[in-house]
Parts: sequence; C-alpha cells; structure tokens
Amino acid sequence: MQIRRFLTGAMLAFAAGVVAPPLLGAQIGVQRERNVPNVYAITNARIVPVSGPAIERGTVVIRNGVIAAVGASAQAPADARIIDGTGLTVYPGLIDANSSLGYPAAAATQAGAPAGRGGRGAPAQQGAPAGAPNSLRPIGLQPEIAAIDLVHPDADAFSGPHSAGITTALTVPSSGIFKGLSAVITLGGASTQAMIIKAPVAEHIGFTPLRSGGYPNSLLGVFSALRQTLLDAQHYGAEQAAYAKNPRGARRPEIDPSLEALQPVLARQIPVVMEASQAREIERALDLAKEFNLRVVIAGGEEADQVAARLKAENVPVLISLNFPRRPTASADADPEPLRVLRARVEAPKLASKLTAAGVRFAFEDGGLTTWSDFLANAGRTVENGLTSEQAVRALTAAPAEILGVSDRLGTIETGKIANLTVTRGDLFAGRVAHVFVDGNPVEIRAQAAGSTAGAMANGTWTVTVTMDEGDKPVTMALEQFGDQLRGTIQGALGNSQISNGSIGADGAFRFTASVTMGGSTEEAAFTGTIAGNVIRGTVGVVGHPQGTFAGQRPDAAGQGAGRRGRPPVQR
Amino acid sequence: MRLSLLTAAALVIATAAGAQTPVTARPAGATLIKNATVLTVTKGKLENTDVLLQNGKIAQVGKNLSAPAGAQVIDATGKYLMPGIVDPHSHTMVDAINEGSLSVTSMVRIRDVLNPTDINIYRQLAGGVTTINILHGSANTIGGQNALVKLKYGRDVDAMLFPGAMPGIKFALGENVTQKNGQTAAQATGRPLRYPSTRMGQEEVLRDAFMRARDYKASWDDYNAKVAKGDKTVVAPDRDLELEPLVEVLEGKRFVHAHSYRGDEMLMLLNVAKEFGFTVKTLQHGLEGYKIASEIAQAGTGLSTFADEWSYKVEAYDAIPYNTAILLHHGVVATVNSDSDERARRLNIDAAKMMRYGGLTEEEALKTITYNGAVQMGVEKRVGSIEVGKDADVVIWSGDPLSVYSSAETTFIDGEIFFDIKRDQAMRDQMAKERASLEAADRRRVTPVVP
Repeated sequence: MQIRRFLTGAMLAFAAGVVAPPLLGAQIGVQRERNVPNVYAITNARIVPVSGPAIERGTVVIRNGVIAAVGASAQAPADARIIDGTGLTVYPGLIDANSSLGYPAAAATQAGAPAGRGGRGAPAQQGAPAGAPNSLRPIGLQPEIAAIDLVHPDADAFSGPHSAGITTALTVPSSGIFKGLSAVITLGGASTQAMIIKAPVAEHIGFTPLRSGGYPNSLLGVFSALRQTLLDAQHYGAEQAAYAKNPRGARRPEIDPSLEALQPVLARQIPVVMEASQAREIERALDLAKEFNLRVVIAGGEEADQVAARLKAENVPVLISLNFPRRPTASADADPEPLRVLRARVEAPKLASKLTAAGVRFAFEDGGLTTWSDFLANAGRTVENGLTSEQAVRALTAAPAEILGVSDRLGTIETGKIANLTVTRGDLFAGRVAHVFVDGNPVEIRAQAAGSTAGAMANGTWTVTVTMDEGDKPVTMALEQFGDQLRGTIQGALGNSQISNGSIGADGAFRFTASVTMGGSTEEAAFTGTIAGNVIRGTVGVVGHPQGTFAGQRPDAAGQGAGRRGRPPVQR
Repeated sequence: MRLSLLTAAALVIATAAGAQTPVTARPAGATLIKNATVLTVTKGKLENTDVLLQNGKIAQVGKNLSAPAGAQVIDATGKYLMPGIVDPHSHTMVDAINEGSLSVTSMVRIRDVLNPTDINIYRQLAGGVTTINILHGSANTIGGQNALVKLKYGRDVDAMLFPGAMPGIKFALGENVTQKNGQTAAQATGRPLRYPSTRMGQEEVLRDAFMRARDYKASWDDYNAKVAKGDKTVVAPDRDLELEPLVEVLEGKRFVHAHSYRGDEMLMLLNVAKEFGFTVKTLQHGLEGYKIASEIAQAGTGLSTFADEWSYKVEAYDAIPYNTAILLHHGVVATVNSDSDERARRLNIDAAKMMRYGGLTEEEALKTITYNGAVQMGVEKRVGSIEVGKDADVVIWSGDPLSVYSSAETTFIDGEIFFDIKRDQAMRDQMAKERASLEAADRRRVTPVVP
C-alpha cells in the first residue's frame, strides 16, 4: 500500500541517521523539512473541512507546512507526493484542548512534580521541573511557570496522541493550584521552539491542595491562597505603575515573577482555565472569576449541564473531559454504589449534547486519560448520546481553535491554514486513524504500548484496614485518578463518604481527606500515603486523635487504566 | 404508631442514600397547620392551636384560624409543632473542615467549600433541624470563617446561606491545637510540630494575631486619612485576608466561636478578649463551663456543649451532664449541639436529657436546641421560636419531640416543605426505579471499538 510504503521508507531513512538529530527528544518521528519532500497531495479522499460541507471526493494539497489547496477540483501539483485517499477521510488535525503533553520524563522524579494530566504512551513522560526560577512562592502556587520554557518531549512522547489522531494540544506545565501558563503546540516538530503555535494561551488553576502538608493543604486554603495571590497581584500592579510614573524619591517595589505573570490575567488579556467537574466546583470557579473579573474557561465540566444556564449567561466555554468515569471493580460484599456515582457514569456521554441544547460553547480535552484509544471512542459515545457527528468533529477541531484563540490558523481545512490533518479509514469515531500530518509532515502511527497505567495508578477498588486509637476499621476505597486529582468514595466502618482534597503525584504519593464517623462524632480524616503496584499504605490524621495508619491492597487490578478497554469488569 | 428512634433513623439513612431531587414545590404558598400542640418555646405550650405560614413567615398563631384562598391545610390533630432546630456546631455539607497547616488561618472561609448536595442535609431535615452553624475544625488556634446555613436541600449555596447573619470565626484552644495526642507519631515521621504545642503558646498566638490586626487597621486608617486630605499619590496598603476578619472581630462585626474544654483556657480567652475589647460570642464544647459559669455570664458569652459526651480525651474528663443546667441558672445562654452528622439527627433527644440532668423545664430544654442557638448566632429575631413575624421554620412532630417515640414528619423552612415523611416514601420508589434503569444503561454500554 502506497502510504505504508512511503512511511516505511521515511522511517528507514530516519533510523539510518540520514537526519542527524541534534535534539533527539524533539524529533518525534517528524521528518526534517530540508531532507524530505514537503509537498503532498491526498487525492480521491472524502474531506471534512469543518468550515463547510463535506467534500465526498476531493484533494488536499499541502506545501511547506501549509494547506495550499482543497476541494473537489483541486489538482495535485507535479512536485507532490501523491497519497491515494480512496476509502480515507481527511479531517482538520484533532486538537486536545487541555493536556500535559510534551514534558521530559526526568522531571517526573523531582520533588513536587505532578502526575501530569494523563500518563502518556511512556509511563514517565509527565511532569515538570521542580519550580520556576527565582520564584518567591512554593511549587503549586507559581503562576509564572510557562509551558514555552519547559516543553521538551521525549522521543515517544506523542505516539499515543498521534494514534488517537491528535495533532495539536494545549499543554499545561505544572500541577497544583496555579498550574502556570499554557501553550498551544503541534505534536512534533524539528525543534521544541518549532512546536510552539501560541504562548501564553491561558493561566491554569487546578484547586488541588499542596501535598507537602504546607499551606494550603485543604480546599479551604486553596481558595484563600488564590484570593490573596490575586489581591497581591492587583496591588503589585498598582505599586509598579505608581513607581513607573514617578520613580524618584520612592522606594523601588520588589519584582515578583508570580505577580508579574498574573498581570495579563487581571487585565483579561488571557483567560484562566479552571479545573472544575462537579456543579459546585464549577459554581465556585465562576464565583472566583467574577470576584476578580477574570475571563474564565471551565475544564473537566462533568456536571456542567447543571450549571448550563449560568455558563451560557456568562459566556463561559467548557473543555469537556473525555476521560469519562470508569466502572470500578467491586468485591461481592461491597455496598451498592451511591446513586450519584452511578448517575455520573451513565450521564457523562450525554453532557456534550446537553450543553449544545443549552447553547454553551465547548471543546473536548483528554482529562488525563491514560488509554489513548479512549479519546476517540469516548468522543464517539457522545455521538451515540445525542450529539451529531458534525458537532463532535467540531468539538475536536474548530471549537477548540476558537476557544484557544488560534482559529485564524488551525481548526479547519482551508487554504492557508497550518497543515495539521487527521486522516482516518472510514468515520473518525470508528477510531481507525490511518495517518496524521503535523505541520505538513506525515507522522508514523504506532499503537500505544499495551497495559500502560501511568497516570491511573490509583484507579480501582482497594480493600483497606485503617488502624486508629479505636482499633482496626475495615473500609473499601474506590479511587479514580484524573491527572493529579484523586476522587472517589470511602465506605465501611468509618461511614460512607466522598473523598475530598485529593491529589496524587507521579511517584504514587497521595493525600486526601474524608469525613469519617469516630466515637459518635463527624471528623475530618487526612489520609497521606503511597500507592505502589497493588499495595496502598500510609498514615491517617484526625485532629485530637493519635496518628493512625492504613494499609491495604487492590484485590483485582482489572479496574486500573485500561479498565474500559475490552470487556468491562463484572460488577457484583 | 410506635416507631422506635433507631428504626426511624435507619429508614432515613436508607432512603436518603441518593436523594438529590428537591422535595419541594415552590414558591411557598400559604400553609395552615390546624389543631396542633404548639411548642412556641418562648411563649409557652399552646394546645389545639392553628399556625398560618404565609410568604415565608409565621403569619398567625391562634385558635380556629381560617385558611386563605389556595392555602394548603394540614390537620395536625394529636401532633406537635415546634420551631426548627438550630444546631450551633456542625461540620455538615463541607468539602474540607480544617486548614490546619498554619496556626492562624482566619483567611479561609467555610463558604468557599460548602457542598449543597450533601445527603446529611436531608437526614438532618428528617431530624427536625433547619439551621446549622458550620464551623471550621479545631486544628489551629485561629481557624476559618464559619457559615450559618438554612438547610434548603436541593437549592444552591446562595439560597442556603442565612440572609443577613453576622459573620463569625472559629478559634480553638487546648489539646487539638497543641497536637499532644498526635505528637509521638508526628515525631516518629520526622514532621516538625506546628507551633504552638502548649496552652501558653496559644495565648501568645492570639495576642500576636490581634496586635498584627491592630497594626493592619492602623495602616488602612492612615491611608484613608491621607486620601481624605487629598493625597492622590498614596498607594493603598495590600489587602490582607488573614487580618481583615480579625479587624472585624475588634470592631464587633464578627462573632468568635471558640472550641475550648478547660476552665482555665476559657478564662484565658475571655481575658484576652477583654484586653482587645471584644466579646467572645460562644465557647464551643466548654465541658468545664460549669466551673466558671459566673465569669462566662459576666463576659456576656454563650456556651454550646454536648448533652452527655465526655472522657474521650484528657481535657474532657472533668465533664458533668449538669453543665448546661448550671450555666443556664447562672444566666449564660447555653445550647446543646451535635458536632456530628449523626447526632444532629436526634438533637431533640439530647434536649430531653437536659430535663433529666439538672431538671430543666420542657421549655428550657427545648430552648437549648432552638431559641438559645438563634441568640448565639445573632438571629433570634428571625428564628428559634414560634412567634408571629418570624421565619416559617417549623417542624410537625408525630408526638412530643422530647419523647424517643416521636419523629419529625414535616419540616418547613421559610414556609416551604423540605422534608416530608410521606414524600420520602414515594421517593424511595422513584430512586429504586432510577437505580434499576441506570444500572441497566450502565451494563448496556457499548464497548468502544479498539483499532
């Protein structure tokens, strides 16, 4: 077959060192322009330009990284590599509207590194360096951390996303509360610098308490820290302006890179992407944005339909997570799932159509998913649940381009736009990605390594014994990891409750709190521990009680990571 | 019907396990409750009396009232009507209780982490509770800002906040703050202990915080004076969210609710408050309050305690169940609280215990869970008793609420029904159906095609 033959040749040339890579990490399987032809024509293909109606049989011409021509009557130029598109459909390159793609693996082992939103193809390629240089604030509260300074992908960084047809992503550099300044990048390029399409795009806020135990270690403190930092930034702006106006005789105000980074946020020049899933989390995010007059985008948005009227009225777009909740494995004697948990899982694929009906703008994001085949499969489930195929394609292309402010160069197949293209065998949502073009260059599609559970190490149902001053208490923890966030329930001898304030690092260190019943009182228990394989252990702190411990295991590991692939685990 | 309390509680738990749909139809039309035994709490027990709820208020109390057009009429013959219970110490409906990382966390706000979907709201409505004071935990000397909430289950947070209530803040003294109980383990793990680890240190933290608050206030006073004089170049001081609420305490614009156990630590706090010129609104727990009842009364401070919960730690050993009665007899506004999602559902029984211990009258006992709590939260003009003009926060009980054989049947807040025992039955069927259909949909789900 023509495409495969071409690609094999290209890869052989690459492997043989025809292209001597000065920066191996940034090669990402994309051929360097000067060594390979940079004119391509995909002929006889079905074309979905998104900017207009589908073209049943037409040609797309790519020249020098840009779409040169598109249409039923477009001709393949004489110098083009011809790709016969019979049976193929060409879409604008898919955009992952919120990710943590493209950071080096080494960083993940450093202190304070996040789990990243989503383990990627390679287990350790998430993370960020220990912090911003010369920052006056702790990791997790450094809004100045910038993707543009840190993006440096490993060789295999993008094979997973490529296999899901993703060519472009918004990438967020850190974790915690202020997660830093994101960038829109192409997934591949001759150099790190060449990958940047736009930066900074947005400031990101994660509401995840600091795992170190320092302030803030709860959602309570997260909000006050955010509020104080934003107030400080307002004050900083006023002080700097006053000094700039009249420096003589006044003491020079100190430079604070964190507060400096927030100036364009306060000036509404860039939006703030706030991670919020449940309705109350979204309300809180909107309240905070209102308090400081920020332009806000909601990311995650699992219950956004319950806040739809407000989102519409305040013109707030939602980046819908395609990391839908998974059905946990449950032991035979476990309590029935709370109705809310069950409801959330069944309703997740319906969210997009509900937001469409309510007139709320949205795009899709990976939500920290770990199995890249889920990306298109779950987008497909939104189509099975009321979204039209056109709307779903839009939510992966033109819609994110608009929300991220790059629709002048990405998101549709139109002459002059960046030649990021996704080519599939049959319909997009069948998930058979045949070919991906990044910046006009073809990229080899490789299947994601099977069984990768990076970024989902906590998923599953854990049988745990909590040992406190009141003796041993058997409990069941149903945990689910979304990037650096940990959610779930705890049921058993300490009562039944949702866990809160949960976060987890790439090293498996985690922290969460839960309301527990002890000696007739409702207490907040802080669980701090680590997950290694199928073993969970750590300490429990309850104010006024001696510190306790907990330890347990995951009897059935089927619930983690690849849980939704293949046969769903049997429930009860 | 003789329904034991335990059975009733178990039923409520089972039912409420997933109830999310609001129980009520709105807006609140008028409701006439006929022929009840009305426990007004402030104006005696009225037999065979009607109560009209209209526009969210108690419109009339009397005999043979006529129902306005369109009013719902409830025959409460043989039943009791009492004001909704006020729980002065709750940690219900929050996603976080403690920000214990620092000794002073006055900047954190319970309002930010309220969870209006917490099932415990519904369970407490089923125990006749209508207003709760949600406090920060007791991990540190100066904790976070509390929230006073009406339990309007199914509504959003803004609709649940008690309108116009004075804001407050949680302080904490004693063992929870010194971390004495957790010290050995904390040392074993190498974590540094947070200052202070003695009661001496707690006093110092308080004094230091209020001195900083005074300085902060002075910096703003200075700025405002300059602006008033026409200085256009002066830059406003940076706002400090930690000190702002403490300035409000100094100015009498924010209540202090202080977790405390021992007589000596309570006296220490009252002295510090006197030094800085504010009044402690309530001592929370205060198990040794009876030892210093006159001093508490003299300070104008209230006390909110457990009915009979003690000896769970050293500072709780000297408790006696007569605490509440002794305090009341010394003129202290005293209440009984839950501090527990579970106990909050049966505060009526805790009030009844106050008749056994210390011989309170029925009305005095009821006051410890209604009117006195309203006084402690500064909302006694709005709730806490059945009087014309007050909020229509009332509960119909199957019998005398001070009996273990009685249960709350219908709970009104601002004239709307938020719990009704008959509707509850109907909802159980609905929820069972919903669960069945969701489980079916969950199993039917198409497995994604893997390329």
